[in-house]
Amino acid sequence: MNTATALSFTTPALLEQLAQLSADQLDELDFGVIGFDADTNVCRYNRTESEAAGLTGPRVLDQPLFTNVAPCLNNFLVGQRFEDAEDGNTSLDDTIDYVLTLRMRPIKVKLRLLAEPGSAVRYVLVQRRL
Amino acid sequence: MSAAVDLRAFAEDANAHLAAEHEALMQFLYLSPVGLVQTDTGGEILMINPISAQLLMPLAHDGNLVNLFEALEGVAPELRHLCAAFTRPNGMVCDGLQIHLNYPNYAGGGALRPRRSPQVLSLSLLKLDDTRLMAVLSDVSEQVRRERQLRQNDAWLNALLTSITDYALVGLDREGRVCEWNETIGRVTGHGEALVGSSYSVFYPADAITDEQVHDRLREADQNGWNLDEGARVRADGSQFWASAMISPIPDRDLEPVDPDAPAYCMVVRDISDKREAIETRRKSAFCDHLTGVANRRAFFDAAELELQRNRRAPRPIALVLVDADHFKSINDRHGHPAGDAVLRQLGLVLTATFRQVDVVARIGGEEFAVLLPSSTLAGAAVVAERLRQVVQAQAVAFEGASIGVTVSAGVAASDGVDLDLETLMKRADRALYAAKAGGRNRVESWTPDLSEPADRPAGAPR
Repeated sequence: MNTATALSFTTPALLEQLAQLSADQLDELDFGVIGFDADTNVCRYNRTESEAAGLTGPRVLDQPLFTNVAPCLNNFLVGQRFEDAEDGNTSLDDTIDYVLTLRMRPIKVKLRLLAEPGSAVRYVLVQRRL
Repeated sequence: MSAAVDLRAFAEDANAHLAAEHEALMQFLYLSPVGLVQTDTGGEILMINPISAQLLMPLAHDGNLVNLFEALEGVAPELRHLCAAFTRPNGMVCDGLQIHLNYPNYAGGGALRPRRSPQVLSLSLLKLDDTRLMAVLSDVSEQVRRERQLRQNDAWLNALLTSITDYALVGLDREGRVCEWNETIGRVTGHGEALVGSSYSVFYPADAITDEQVHDRLREADQNGWNLDEGARVRADGSQFWASAMISPIPDRDLEPVDPDAPAYCMVVRDISDKREAIETRRKSAFCDHLTGVANRRAFFDAAELELQRNRRAPRPIALVLVDADHFKSINDRHGHPAGDAVLRQLGLVLTATFRQVDVVARIGGEEFAVLLPSSTLAGAAVVAERLRQVVQAQAVAFEGASIGVTVSAGVAASDGVDLDLETLMKRADRALYAAKAGGRNRVESWTPDLSEPADRPAGAPR
């Protein structure tokens, strides 16, 4: 069985499973994946997200997420949550309703925020709400 | 190589080029440090860039960004009205309108409130044609803070440098009482020697300054070297004039004077009535609610912050009343928006007439008003709120032949000088207001510790 396709937006304990996927496997997921490192630079960016946003990997990878890639996440609903988790050395796994401006259209989405103390990569997962 | 292959390669190149350009443009908009929104004339969002979403999301009560006017309803209730009143086919509806966020409509307040949340947004609205509006949004919190500082400096320089035609020179003792009479006082204010011993509040219209504020100004003069106040003053015969008054501590005065009546401060009062119109116009455009003429959110939060700052230095009671028109939506539905506007105007008038001049009456949401009462207790404020409730109930609003009965609910909260947080005060008054609504409306409720948090209703949300 393909590991990647077995994973859904709501799969429990998703962070460690994402960490084990290759870039190609990430691309097979039907939800958007944005991973960023300790300096908040984007280090993982899958196809679903790339197509939704209209941006290709080279424009996004190695760029600071909250200032150069998705400034709309730089607020207390998202950015602050990661900061708080980091400051408190706690894990974060929360799903919130949000509106992203994909290709300048307001798109209702669910965001899943994932962070774990000691984990090198933190994730914002994106799924469209119907 | 055939010509067909050449052409296909060429087309592919051109396509790739276009795609790259499109992506670059997209990213240009994604990363724009100002917010851009395109809406239809009803405010429905057609296109929006990320920074706009960042600025607007925290204001959208339901977490959905569908309509610009709805998202800003709680903090800029006048937007719809401004657009509706704009009859030209295209052009600027508003340019750099400052929207003050602050508490209470910043959903998710309290512990979740971000360190970097904006306090003031600037909004420009451009009508493109009959179907589209373009909005530019940016966070101008820092500029506003700097401007405020500059304005103070300007006022200070004006007071010093503007050509002085006449002024009264008044010596005040430690308590702010007039020490001595002189001719300049007689000339500008008409007061005679009997003035000596009266507090300088005698120059203010009745109700326009509290005893505590009299002392605040002296303390500020001690701390900053000066205190400046522009506003209405009264002469001995009761006539009013517009004055700029500066209080400064007398240098090298004895800090523990043997004679408590010795002059400790010098107050210079200048009659600037001829400039009053210009000053008032400037003040009105920046600090008044366009519809009701009472203070707007910006003026309210400015005044509340200042009062609470002073309160921290010299604790004393302060009360807050939140007033909300009952069943306002059904008034709008039954009689139309212009009738709703007439109701709000009438409420503005009654509020202004009922509260003291020193109280700050402001419209802080669609049909929600707030009144800040310096040096007032919970019980005192509740009495005035109850009077307001009765007056409103007794006066139906006449509009185009219809007589519209209106009632209000009010929530009262007060700080005894210990709990000085505006956010807490607002929250408590809001809970009391909620209790008044839940108790059947047309009531005044005061906050008590057992008023529980209303479930899931952000403060200031439509009721």
